[in-house]
Amino acid sequence: MHSTWSRRCNACGYEQQYEGAWRCAMQQRTQEVGAEAHRDAVIDVHELVKRYGDVPAVRGVSFHVSRGEIFGLLGPNGAGKTTTMEMIEGLRIPDGGRAIVAGHDTKTALHRVKAVIGVQLQSTSLFDLLTVREITELYASFYANPVPILPLLESMILTDKLDSRVKSLSGGQKQRLAIALALVNDPLVVFLDEPTTGLDPQARRTLWDIVLRLKERGKTIILSTHYMDEAHVLCDRICLMDKGTIIALDTPDQLIARLEADRAVVFRVSEQLRGEEDKFVAFREACAQMEGVQTVSVHGDVFSLYTSNVQRSLIDVIQCTERCGIVVDQLSTRSATLEDVFIRMTGRSLREQ
Amino acid sequence: MRAYWKLTQAQLILFARNRTVIFFSLVFPILLMMALGTFLGGGGDVRLKGVVIDQDGTVDSREAVAKLTALRSAGLTVASDETQARDALKRGDLQLVVMIPKSFEEQLRIGKAKVHVLYDEKSQTVSQIGVQLIEGVVDALSKERTGYAPVVGVEASPVQSLGLKYIDFLVPGIVAMMIMSSNLNGVAGQIASWRERGVLRRMQSTTLRARTFIAAQITARLILNGSQALIVLLLGAFAFGTRVSGSWALVVMYVILGTLVFMSIGFIIAGLAKTPESAGPIAGFVSFPLLFLGNVFFPISSMPELLQPVVKALPITHLAHAMREVMNVGATLGDLWLDTVWLIGWLIVAFVIASMTFKWE
Ligand SMILES: Nc1ncnc2c1ncn2[C@@H]1O[C@H](COP(=O)(O)OP(=O)(O)OP(=O)(O)O)[C@@H](O)[C@H]1O
Ligand SMILES: [Mg+2]
Repeated sequence: MHSTWSRRCNACGYEQQYEGAWRCAMQQRTQEVGAEAHRDAVIDVHELVKRYGDVPAVRGVSFHVSRGEIFGLLGPNGAGKTTTMEMIEGLRIPDGGRAIVAGHDTKTALHRVKAVIGVQLQSTSLFDLLTVREITELYASFYANPVPILPLLESMILTDKLDSRVKSLSGGQKQRLAIALALVNDPLVVFLDEPTTGLDPQARRTLWDIVLRLKERGKTIILSTHYMDEAHVLCDRICLMDKGTIIALDTPDQLIARLEADRAVVFRVSEQLRGEEDKFVAFREACAQMEGVQTVSVHGDVFSLYTSNVQRSLIDVIQCTERCGIVVDQLSTRSATLEDVFIRMTGRSLREQ
Repeated sequence: MRAYWKLTQAQLILFARNRTVIFFSLVFPILLMMALGTFLGGGGDVRLKGVVIDQDGTVDSREAVAKLTALRSAGLTVASDETQARDALKRGDLQLVVMIPKSFEEQLRIGKAKVHVLYDEKSQTVSQIGVQLIEGVVDALSKERTGYAPVVGVEASPVQSLGLKYIDFLVPGIVAMMIMSSNLNGVAGQIASWRERGVLRRMQSTTLRARTFIAAQITARLILNGSQALIVLLLGAFAFGTRVSGSWALVVMYVILGTLVFMSIGFIIAGLAKTPESAGPIAGFVSFPLLFLGNVFFPISSMPELLQPVVKALPITHLAHAMREVMNVGATLGDLWLDTVWLIGWLIVAFVIASMTFKWE
């Protein structure tokens, strides 16, 4: 896949180099928001670094999470979300930097940290042959002051399944059980690593409700996902990660607003145009020059024009293609999403591969 | 403390609900015992085994020894220690002990020489055949000397043996085998798979201490192995009339020692295995030859000379031997110090290696 970019940063007018770091206003703001959150932070992460062999997985990540906040880590596969979360949970030892949870440093007071966090791992399996009740009682016994388990399982809609074996649960039920186990110690902070991946839409909604109810109960939640709609619905703030670094951190609405191109015009060009390299490039250039168009992104034969003036852009696209004899197909417009923010910042989509 | 009990309980539930565990740790050994016990246990061995002890050490006595050992079917070999020979006879390892007494030569001159034969009274038929064989040899010898005037006689005396049969050999071996395979295969497979599937990491993210987890694992496995051993011993008692002559406390002690040794080895395999799929086969690969070499089904003496030093170093050999001695002969801890030292040595070495190679993830 290849994609193309206009050269000017539309968020701040900064002339950007095609490759390399973006140091525009959007990142400026990221740092400011971080500083604001500092005061009542439950989690304070500073310059965390993790390498596997020579390969850096997380390269200097810093952020704060406030009490009662749902903090989203959003990024494509391999962005370093799991690694970051597990360093805060004390499951992986950072190669650099520090993580402080509820005032306890994970390096020096890990046992205290573990007492106040609840963890749902991305890939974990439980004892398949135990029943829901047995495994919950087991995990409750690991903590000094566990909550009563029946109300807990009821709140996770597992009352019907109390005496079913873990093995026989559906994907959604297993995920809810994993969350129940993360809550047995009534933790201050709950880590949910891709809790909805692999679930059907209905099961995802149920889980969203559960997460929002946790927030109502005052829990601080760190959640990772690669679904941008999920991040948008659930998270108070989103930390966009790519290749082990934070590329943006803000509220979902602010992130989108920063695009300054609130709508996208999307269409497909005919196969035959892709064969004619010169014509293809010229057309792409023409699109980038259109009035109101901030960014053009091309994936295969699909063009996305991010624009602040959707009407003007539609007319321009139709006129231009007519003039050049280019056939367009499946023309549509939509609101800009977090996905677009990501594409804009990295040149890649959240779930390519 | 609550975590310790809950984990122990959970592990016991897991054992009880896992069909493979039940099959391999209980059903299979019992079937094996029943089958071997029924086909081999009752019949006994018709091959004779005995020793000749020359207490005279003269030309004539040596000739008699040569004649006796030349007789293939009597299976006699030369030995020197009478006490040891009597002991072996008592246990049923030998059926005959032939003694050429001091002053055999002198007595022979005056035509009154005697050969003493001790035989196991419990295995009447076998011993009778043996005594007859020896009488034949002695007769021939005597005729050769004197031209048909019998100058050498046979004096046969029964010795009260413990009446041990193959099943008595087998049952303690089966107990040792169960302890070995259930821990070696069980620990290696389970820990490797829990690690792979993230079960251990999930527990690591709670306030559970590693030592609590390990203590619970040990407790649950001791309970499992203890009940396995008890079931097999009771079954042996009811079906074949085997019994524990020695102290039960010692039996329990060796069950515990064996469990700890083989758990540690299981942890080493779990630590070394790259994947849970390879842990099972590695454990099988280790335990399978041990079954045949390690004194479980066959006595060590039946192993090829070359393998003897290896066999004598194996933990299963000592576990099976100790179990057998306690059950069959009523040996005490004092008698079994060598086996005990070997097992403790194995435990220490294996434990150290296990704690060095173990990883949670
Ligand atoms: N145990 C490990 N050993 C070696 N490399 C690892 C290990 N865990 C993660 N990595 C590498 O570190 C990088 C970050 O991985 P991580 O699991 O944190 O990403 P992620 O954002 O959680 O991805 P996903 O969305 O797929 O869960 C990846 O390139 C991955 O290959
Ligand atoms: Mg992940």
